[in-house]
Amino acid sequence: MFSKTTTASPLSKARDHVLRRLMLDRQVAFWTNELAPLHAQSGTGSCRARVGAIIQETPDTKTFVLQPGRALTYRAGQYVSVEVEVNGVRMHRCYSLSSAPGGDEVSITVKRVPDGRVSTWLHDHVDVGAILGLGAPSGDFVLPTDVTGPLLFVSGGSGITPLMSMARDLVQRGALRDVVWVHYARSAADVIFGRELAHLARTQPDFRLHLCLDDEPGAPRGFDEARFTALVPDYASRAAFQCGPGPMMDRVEQLFDAAGAAGHLKREAFVAAPAHTPSVSPGEPVQVTLLRSERAVIARGPGSLLEQLERAGERPAHGCRVGICHTCRCTKQSGTVENLLSGELSSAPDQEIQLCITRAHSDLKLDLA
Amino acid sequence: MTRPSRTLSREEADAFGRELDALRQEVVADLGERDLRHIREVIRVANLSEVTGRVLLHVGFGPLSFVGGVSALALAKILDNMEIGHNVMHGQYDWTRDPALDSHAYEWDTVCTSEDWRHSHNYEHHTFTNILGKDRDVGYGFLRVTPEQPWEPRHITQPVGAALLALLFQWGVGAHDLRIPDVIEGKEPFLPFAKRALPFVQKAGWQLAKDYVLYPALALGNAPRVAFGNLLANGARNLWTFAVIFCGHFPEGVRVYTEDEVANESRGQWYVRQLNGSANIEGSTAMHVLTGHLSHQIEHHLFPDIPAARYPEMAPRVRELCERYGQTYNTGSFPKQLGSVARRLLRLSLPGPAVAPRAATQVAEAAAQATTARAPQRAPLAA
Ligand SMILES: Cc1cc2nc3c(=O)[nH]c(=O)nc-3n(C[C@H](O)[C@H](O)[C@H](O)COP(=O)(O)OP(=O)(O)OC[C@H]3O[C@@H](n4cnc5c(N)ncnc54)[C@H](O)[C@@H]3O)c2cc1C
Ligand code: FES
Repeated sequence: MFSKTTTASPLSKARDHVLRRLMLDRQVAFWTNELAPLHAQSGTGSCRARVGAIIQETPDTKTFVLQPGRALTYRAGQYVSVEVEVNGVRMHRCYSLSSAPGGDEVSITVKRVPDGRVSTWLHDHVDVGAILGLGAPSGDFVLPTDVTGPLLFVSGGSGITPLMSMARDLVQRGALRDVVWVHYARSAADVIFGRELAHLARTQPDFRLHLCLDDEPGAPRGFDEARFTALVPDYASRAAFQCGPGPMMDRVEQLFDAAGAAGHLKREAFVAAPAHTPSVSPGEPVQVTLLRSERAVIARGPGSLLEQLERAGERPAHGCRVGICHTCRCTKQSGTVENLLSGELSSAPDQEIQLCITRAHSDLKLDLA
Repeated sequence: MTRPSRTLSREEADAFGRELDALRQEVVADLGERDLRHIREVIRVANLSEVTGRVLLHVGFGPLSFVGGVSALALAKILDNMEIGHNVMHGQYDWTRDPALDSHAYEWDTVCTSEDWRHSHNYEHHTFTNILGKDRDVGYGFLRVTPEQPWEPRHITQPVGAALLALLFQWGVGAHDLRIPDVIEGKEPFLPFAKRALPFVQKAGWQLAKDYVLYPALALGNAPRVAFGNLLANGARNLWTFAVIFCGHFPEGVRVYTEDEVANESRGQWYVRQLNGSANIEGSTAMHVLTGHLSHQIEHHLFPDIPAARYPEMAPRVRELCERYGQTYNTGSFPKQLGSVARRLLRLSLPGPAVAPRAATQVAEAAAQATTARAPQRAPLAA
């Protein structure tokens, strides 16, 4: 219940079973949390980390230097899922690691998103000493193990974070050779890691930095093909890594496509694919994916999701059918639903819903068998 | 005796329900860190108290440390069962998404399996509250707790039966969902029953092993002291939970319903039934926590999945609503409510009293019906 074992050997399974049956599992969890909080299990299953320092990078961006309970192995450019309690509710968001691999500490760099739940909470409520959960580092937006040819980094706004990790890694390995970095930001004050970038540009002979700022007099706002190709005429022959706003990345991609160099370009998107699925009116057919059995059924017609699923031949667990007993609770991974009691619409990912008081407003993914 | 509630028309009941829904939304919107802090603090006290109790029993000697050890252990078990277990399993903290507070994962320190509990309590009792023949919590199948239940000669012994239930309450609760009378009466064959009962038997086995074999064995020479202390702590928890729970639905003035009365009940009418089927106990904050806020049984039955520590602040609003709609808000001190329950159990062990004309025949029929409530009864969501 409390301890999610990652190593499921028969022996440790048996031990967990006995601990649970003797009601000792939560004693263990409680005392670990009291005495060694960094070693307590975190919901994301990997580890926990203490915030060791907080650096205000720009007016709306902070770096959180984290001290994980155990060493985190990762490659420059990868991200972690960060678990944080936002006003009592556990939430997870992905953040690229901005530090270079190898150290005891890792860092994430977070831009405050207006009205964003997790980023504003991190900015306003998380202080030095706070403890966060960290998932296992993942992602394939990484440098090749041995970098030989010339590189190109293209970033916009907070998209600079995974590239900073790569640059720091290259410096640390003494492998920072022919690198061109084009970064887009609103103004000089908004350039995250601005001083470190300037320092690199001064001290590393083969490192070229181009800052494209929106507030430069006479300069084009945002991404501009002509300016970009003028800055990096040999872009198509470089191994390129880009991270930034979707429209900017699409345009860079088009340039590489046109040059027949699509294979040279890697991208990292901070937003998951279309967050909102097209909305339908209640009762219209929607596709419900049952993740545990990897099946999809069509739910349609009047009534709650529970009734619709039953009509489609499913037998979800239920009791009262009116929202009292929580037997029909399950996790909605994606999609838009309406709570029939409050009338509230929600598209939040990984949300607990009760099938009997929920109506689908889009295709859904449910953690059901 | 309290003045009975005014009978509300469907429209009135629905208006009443809408006001309660609004109150519910208000609190749901306000849930946050403070609720999480509260339950974690209770969990902390429960854990500290359990360790204190076990240490005092295991390495202490003499009567003083024995009494201290038993009290601390009983407190831990009461907190685990009431403010933590009962409330967590209702889904009151599911919104936190903390796996330690997950209603479907929590297992409590009693012989009742949480799986059985979620079925018999969260679903049956909270959906069919006080419906004769449907809510098997009305007298737990052997006590006559309301004059509407027809008297039978076996009820003569119910004061003794109730006392035994109080002492062994966790076993009563644990066996409740097994519907043993059905098997005895031949309504269910033995094999399927045995299969259903297996998780309970397993959990009971582990619980007995924990309290009466493992912990005593760890105490070496102090083994008898530890076993006896554990027995007393379990017993104290049994008595306390029994008293609190009986005060919730069986004092004078609490109403029962027939199936016919609730057919096609609207959400508003469901609220009215919950209100009239429950009674509160007045007391201090500590007392409320020790009862798992079941001292706010009324608020709990209106809002079973709202964190219970919110009930005290919701109570004045509910009371005010009751006044406006002419509904009795059944509340009293612990001695008053417990006395009322005891008097009732004694009085009802004898035949009578006559039931008010309110569809007396239907009531008798309903009570005679099968005591299972398997077919879900659809109460409409909206008015
Ligand atoms: C692989 C990866 C790496 C990332 N790395 C970083 C990084 O290094 N640094 C960084 O700052 N971020 C990074 N992100 C983004 C990060 O994960 C968060 O998405 C970001 O911090 C915003 O989260 P939030 O909870 O603050 O905002 P959310 O609350 O999720 O809201 C995001 C936006 O959507 C709007 N919104 C919210 N709910 C709704 C709704 N129901 N309908 C319409 N609009 C709504 C909000 O107003 C806000 O503008 C990364 C993302 C990914 C996938
Ligand atoms: S079935 Fe009881 S809450 Fe949905």
